[in-house]
Amino acid sequence: MLTRRTLLAFGFAAPWLKVRAASDFAGVSEDEFLLGTSAAFSGPSRGLGIELYRGAMAYFEHVNRAGGIGGRRIRQKIYDDGYQPDPAVKNSTTLMIEDHVFLLFGYVGTPTVTRVLPLLKKFQDRDMFLFFPFTGAAPQREPPYGDFAFNLRASYGEETAGLVDNFVAVGRRRIAVFYQADAYGRSGWAGVRKALARHGEQIVGEATYRRGAKFTSVMRDQVNILKAANPEAVVCIGSYAACAAFARDAVDLDLNVPLANLSFVGSENMLKLLSEGRDDAERYTQLLVNSQVVPSYEDDSIPAVREYRDLMARYNPEVPAELVTEEYTPFPHSFVSLEGFLDAKLMVEILRRLGDNPTRKGLEEAVFTIRDFDLGIGERASFGPDRRQGLQGVYYTVVDQGRFISLTDWQGRFANVGA
Amino acid sequence: MSAPDQDVPDIKVKKLFRKTTFGVFMLFGVIGLSTSILNVYTVDTHLSEEYISNSKGIAKTIADASVDILLNRDLAALQSLIDQFLEIQGIRYIYITNESGEFIAHTFVPGIPEEILQSDPLSTETAERTLTGLGDFVEVGSPILAGVAGTVHVGMDRGLIALKIQRAIGQQMWLFVVVGAIGVVAAIWLVNLAAKPMAGLMAYAVSLAKDDEPANPELLDRDDEVGHLARLFRHFASRQSTGGQ
Repeated sequence: MLTRRTLLAFGFAAPWLKVRAASDFAGVSEDEFLLGTSAAFSGPSRGLGIELYRGAMAYFEHVNRAGGIGGRRIRQKIYDDGYQPDPAVKNSTTLMIEDHVFLLFGYVGTPTVTRVLPLLKKFQDRDMFLFFPFTGAAPQREPPYGDFAFNLRASYGEETAGLVDNFVAVGRRRIAVFYQADAYGRSGWAGVRKALARHGEQIVGEATYRRGAKFTSVMRDQVNILKAANPEAVVCIGSYAACAAFARDAVDLDLNVPLANLSFVGSENMLKLLSEGRDDAERYTQLLVNSQVVPSYEDDSIPAVREYRDLMARYNPEVPAELVTEEYTPFPHSFVSLEGFLDAKLMVEILRRLGDNPTRKGLEEAVFTIRDFDLGIGERASFGPDRRQGLQGVYYTVVDQGRFISLTDWQGRFANVGA
Repeated sequence: MSAPDQDVPDIKVKKLFRKTTFGVFMLFGVIGLSTSILNVYTVDTHLSEEYISNSKGIAKTIADASVDILLNRDLAALQSLIDQFLEIQGIRYIYITNESGEFIAHTFVPGIPEEILQSDPLSTETAERTLTGLGDFVEVGSPILAGVAGTVHVGMDRGLIALKIQRAIGQQMWLFVVVGAIGVVAAIWLVNLAAKPMAGLMAYAVSLAKDDEPANPELLDRDDEVGHLARLFRHFASRQSTGGQ
């Protein structure tokens, strides 16, 4: 029987219980894991955020429909930062303090992630980690912030080193850099510089552009600056819109050298911009060589690719309507969505290893149990206290008949370019 | 009584007060001009010094913050740091060179200007630069780890500094013009206030001299200098009419 005292006690305790419930929730409940995401869903780089999300959701949806992880479904709380640092910081604060997410997952971009990392350090007592950001930059791989993030993909250092080594191997030692004037561009620039130094070379020329440039931007000044340096290859570290604009103007101004792009560029979007509405698309795409951190989604011999293609076709995930502010037609398959898919696959495995009573405190330990884990792409993923990056593989692709295919013969491909 | 009529001219006091008004105008003009010149000089000097001082402070802050980042060889973090400072109004470019003078982080688009490439990258002297296609700048520098780890350079937009200075001076000048205009109007009003009874007194004296009906007889009732003078004029006029007895 409810006495007056009991009612009074409950009345006073109710607000306190509510607060406790909120703080104890911490992103995981009996039936849900809540993951927080801030990424580009608007602006010139929205294709990256959308594709990454679609790939991840294909796998999460599959897991959720199969009953989740120990009965817990995976839900993503998503905010759009437009690939801009300040909104990314604001969104992350909201995700951690107001939304009480379990962890941060699927962020996009170096300038955004670089600014969010100090937040993770600030809230280190909450054991908040950032999982698998779509960037190969160094800050989330090294001290002082490396302990707060886990990366799956290879680093920009590995991508640029691979590109430089291959160019040097085919006799192209004079390498210039076209890059975004921010932390992402600098990260790639530093990678090229370091790789060239190993061969006793230096960057022969450099040109920059401002973040947010569109395909309609004119890059003729940048092309002319690099032409003056007489390079034998150019490594581009930018977004797909800017790199496509640069490639277009480079071809128009007869800068006839291989134009290498990193995985972040979003190859399919770049190809679409350079090809759409052109009869001579091949002229603008034959110089491209894009590094990737996942294998080709065209290669059906790879088990994870078969699974990815199957789940993408089955669920065809869409970005929540409230985040769609600009027109975008997603690709059925892309390197970015395949990366998102693999990110989600490993995330699910980590959450599964947390056991029946998942807590944030157990996250790091669960990640470190990932040793030689087979994601189905051939290369196995491993983590440890001194290893915050799961994979190291870099793949090189070129455009052939309107699609990206694996590049194996560098000499043959670029023997006559710029000759 | 025709002789006195011919001897008494039609005197007007306006000329005297017009000169006084002109004098007031001139005085305000001289004060205004000299104050303006001093003001422009002071504001220009102080604001320029302040901007340069702030720039040096920013350069030093970046230099101090860069030490750890440079030693860790994380250039992406270094770039991220200078990008944040670029958001401060007036700062148009920042570049950092290492100890050998290599440009390891900068904010130039589409590339590092030739004028910068040709300059001494390790110098931290304040310099005025004109960069082709970019404008005029004041560049300040600060050494990193006393120069053994490199230097930080910050470029302030001189055009923006000049605009700020012009705006500050403009606001002060606007205030001065308003105060000056009010002062001149007040001076004219005061001069006219003083001129009116003097003109009445003049008319009264002339009417006495002409043996006419006294003009403005109410002046005799005033208890001030004008009233005293009016009564004095009446006394002299009455003595003259009684033959000086």
